[in-house]
Amino acid sequence: MAEDVLLSDDLLRQLMSVGEVDLLVGMSSHNAANTVSHALDAIEESFQRNFVRQRVVIVNVGGGDKDEDGVEAKGQGNLAEKVRLPGIISLRTSHRVTANISGPPSAGIALRTILAAADLLRARACAVVSPAASNLTPDSVANLLRPIYREKFDFVAPLYTRNRYQGLLARNLLYPMSRALFGCGIRELFSDEWGFSGRLAALCLNQDVWHEEAIQARPEAWMGISAISSDFRCCQAFLGEKSQATKGLATDIVEVLRQTVGTLFWCLEARQSWWLDCGKSQPVPTFGPAHELTSDPTDLDRHRIFEMFRSGVTELEPILSSILDPETHSEIKSIVSLEEGKFRFKSDLWVRTLYDFAASYHHAVINRDHLVQALAPLYRGMTYSFLVEHSDSSPAEMEAASEMLCGEFELQKPYLMERWKAKVEVKS
Amino acid sequence: MRQTILRGLEQVYGNLVHMIAEFLPRFLVMLIIIVIGLLVALALKYILRALLGLTKLDRVSDDAGASRVLRMAHLPPMTELLSRSIFWVTWIGFILVGLSVLRVAGLQEQISRLFQFLPEVFVAILILFLGAVIANFLSRTALLAAVNAGHPSPKILSWSIRFVIWILAISMTLEELGVARQTVISAFSIIFGASMLGLAIAFGLGGQDLARKCLERYLGDTKKKEDKEPQPL
Repeated sequence: MAEDVLLSDDLLRQLMSVGEVDLLVGMSSHNAANTVSHALDAIEESFQRNFVRQRVVIVNVGGGDKDEDGVEAKGQGNLAEKVRLPGIISLRTSHRVTANISGPPSAGIALRTILAAADLLRARACAVVSPAASNLTPDSVANLLRPIYREKFDFVAPLYTRNRYQGLLARNLLYPMSRALFGCGIRELFSDEWGFSGRLAALCLNQDVWHEEAIQARPEAWMGISAISSDFRCCQAFLGEKSQATKGLATDIVEVLRQTVGTLFWCLEARQSWWLDCGKSQPVPTFGPAHELTSDPTDLDRHRIFEMFRSGVTELEPILSSILDPETHSEIKSIVSLEEGKFRFKSDLWVRTLYDFAASYHHAVINRDHLVQALAPLYRGMTYSFLVEHSDSSPAEMEAASEMLCGEFELQKPYLMERWKAKVEVKS
Repeated sequence: MRQTILRGLEQVYGNLVHMIAEFLPRFLVMLIIIVIGLLVALALKYILRALLGLTKLDRVSDDAGASRVLRMAHLPPMTELLSRSIFWVTWIGFILVGLSVLRVAGLQEQISRLFQFLPEVFVAILILFLGAVIANFLSRTALLAAVNAGHPSPKILSWSIRFVIWILAISMTLEELGVARQTVISAFSIIFGASMLGLAIAFGLGGQDLARKCLERYLGDTKKKEDKEPQPL
């Protein structure tokens, strides 16, 4: 890796003055000037409480912010001089390093800078956190670093407590599909907080993928999938309640689909030699409790979600016909005509729909960005069906349904493999 | 008298023989040129087809939506279309060169005119093709964006975009070919201006409620709308 190209002179100078470290925590402070001090305090406290003997560094990637000067002043310098917890004496000097990127850094650029710094400093355990997350605590930082530093894992994905009706894309698509195809049951591949080893950082840094749009938007999922497909040790760690105000988390469903499903499909394409031969999924070691569901009241307009599904499928019929298998498409058209009360998006149809989308993405039957956007109405249909089916379900029942969906994804994997390998003829 | 007639016939016969003697080699040259042209055109066709096959042009064409346009027009896939085009262009070129060897009065002038016109025809075809690709891509983009944003009439929006781009492409094509230049420009300006004015009036006056809703949607408080759907992640 050419650090001289990726890392600025100023950053190199800062890194050289740090020397080797044991632990590195990276974050991107872009658009998070108001919360960055809270994040820094949490990380510092975590270091002083949990890693007294380790050499530590915080790498803050910023750029393009109006309040950059303020952030920079907080982000640089010797850690030990800034925060001292009463009764705790740190045995090592800790450092902060700030990487100023010209212009707003994308998630990909920020991660690449952090990986380059980790590689140069020979960090053993690293974590990326989001300063915009309002619930970042010293414990959550430690929970990401500890399995790597002490238990020799290579990738740590977070687990959260969240509302039962939130995170439905992760629950109904990203988690079961990635688990069935990549054989590893990591629940939160798409998150703003995760941990990784120095070995994994070096591997990812040397991949020639950083120019890819999928990597620029959501590099963490690619990093997780790289770890799984390269036989690195992966685990999950419970971090507490999921913050919905995390930076970079788009609220527009189409944008979220482009960032997450687009990246997942891209990873399928990039790692096809691996997942096509991959066997059944294996459980992942988990530190702390498994993910938890709460039942806080939510303001959801089910009727609007259903109407957007119905109108979307009707209006996008020519596009969907070029993506979906004719049988799948006709089944979807038949459920569109059902009354709202009787409508259900059955799991086998949902899985086949997604596998058709994945295969069509692979064969590029239409523009790939358009293809991912065309999934939005169908996702809304699945969301509506889920909300109706689980209006009175207990967390255990929802978990059982989730397991059944995962099983359906695994059961139908041969269908995807068949469509994936099929040659698509250009009709004259 | 008899001698004169015989001499005249002899002269005509001599001229005919001379003409045939002059024409036959030229005709043979023309045939040779046409046959060579056929071989060259066939070779170019197969070379181009192989090269385009390597570059996966058909996939790019599918991706851009051009294949669909070609299918709608009952045309072959992009690779086949281009390789067939190069075959015909090359062979027709050789045929015209061959014909010019015959030195038929007036024909040479027409041939040279046709050669001068060929680049404009190519540019016109290219403009039309690019117009079709862009119209298809942008109309699909608009359709997806409108559907996912919950707009009431996404197909109208999509077809409007397709229509405007097609009109623009056809006008540019006709202008390139020099077909009634002034009329085309005037017609385009009138149709385009009238359409836009008509849409603006229809939207502003006829669809006041819709206009208000759209403005509220884009400029108003979006928080309430976001809360209506569950957080995906």
